[in-house]
Amino acid sequence: MIELSGIKVLRKGRLILGLDKLIFEDGLSYALIGDNGSGKTTLLRLLTGIIQPSIGHIKGLEGLKLAYLPQKPYLFRMTVWENVALATKESLDNAQGIQEAINAVGMQGYEKQEAEKLSGGEAQRVAIARLLLVKADLVLLDEPTAPIDVRGREQIDAVITAYVRKNGATLIFATHSLEQALKLADRVVKLEDGLQQTV
Amino acid sequence: MQEVIYQIFGPNPEMREIIGLTLIMSALSTIISSAIGIPLGTWLGLTEFRGKKTWLKVNSTLMGLPPVLVGLLVFLLLSRSGPLGKLSLLFSLPAMVLAQVILITPIITGMTANLISINANTINETCIGLGIHPGRKLWLVLNDYKKDYLINILAGFGRSIAEVGAVQMVGGNIQYKTRVMTTAIMMQTNMGQFEQALALGLVLLVIAFVVNFAVQSLRSRISDD
Repeated sequence: MIELSGIKVLRKGRLILGLDKLIFEDGLSYALIGDNGSGKTTLLRLLTGIIQPSIGHIKGLEGLKLAYLPQKPYLFRMTVWENVALATKESLDNAQGIQEAINAVGMQGYEKQEAEKLSGGEAQRVAIARLLLVKADLVLLDEPTAPIDVRGREQIDAVITAYVRKNGATLIFATHSLEQALKLADRVVKLEDGLQQTV
Repeated sequence: MQEVIYQIFGPNPEMREIIGLTLIMSALSTIISSAIGIPLGTWLGLTEFRGKKTWLKVNSTLMGLPPVLVGLLVFLLLSRSGPLGKLSLLFSLPAMVLAQVILITPIITGMTANLISINANTINETCIGLGIHPGRKLWLVLNDYKKDYLINILAGFGRSIAEVGAVQMVGGNIQYKTRVMTTAIMMQTNMGQFEQALALGLVLLVIAFVVNFAVQSLRSRISDD
């Protein structure tokens, strides 16, 4: 269980996230919804440890293996295969796993393609495939399907669900789509102007 | 023009020696500066730590170091009564290389740090998300920016080959030993031997043009990719 209490994140004196108490229970899926600038990304970055709260405490992150998909994931100037293989230390022994991850996101046939030449949606699929190889307890996704076309989103939603179930992980994802939130999440957290509104 | 070509390709080997020594000195300085500046700049660009802004400001200042000042410092360092006087390196190629490394390393470091900082957040967040440890991240980024680094390296080489103040002071412009193109041009101009000065100037210009052309081509190739 992850517990955030009395959290305030301030940037140049301005409150960008304020949470009295928020609990993420193990093995459940949570959607973070809210407008741009509502604090979704800040909350995810807080959970990754990339940023620290100005005030408050986070409990329960110790020892958790993390998988995090930032809003703009970086693809290295390598092939699709090599990018996906980065997520596994045993890339030579795990060729099957790499291929399965590529297939799962519908990128089969692109293995030798240079990542630089992919479209935004294709690059996002590769970034998601890469994440599938991380055996994580806590999965944090920042608008995972935003650059992907409507048809592709269903496929990726199914992949994410299967991945989270397989690992028995806790999923926390940010989205602008209420439909996606209701489909993937057990609970929905609404943020507004950096403040938690409802759970 | 005929005289200029004769000076370069004629029977007197001195001109070719000067050109050769200049290229060796600039290449050595650039290799050493790159070996320091590229990993350091990449690390600086990627890493957030207390004092980073100050470090970058100091580096920016060092990027504009007056060559004569560097020459003076290296001179004092290597002179017989200086801390490294026992090495007897003053008025030698290593002394010139040392001065150039001091001048060029901050340039390559600063350019590299600026380059990497553009994507630093996305790279860092991606690596955290995949559990890639900092050492492997540094290696991946070094590999990822190979072409971009080449631009910085060529810029360093360009600065090195055109520098005169520091190499004059610590090299002493000794014939067949430490005389490079810039110091030779200066000397020959002072002596009124304008053909030789012009010939070397022309070679310097051609090298500068080739380096600049290579940088521009690389830039356009990278932006096309």
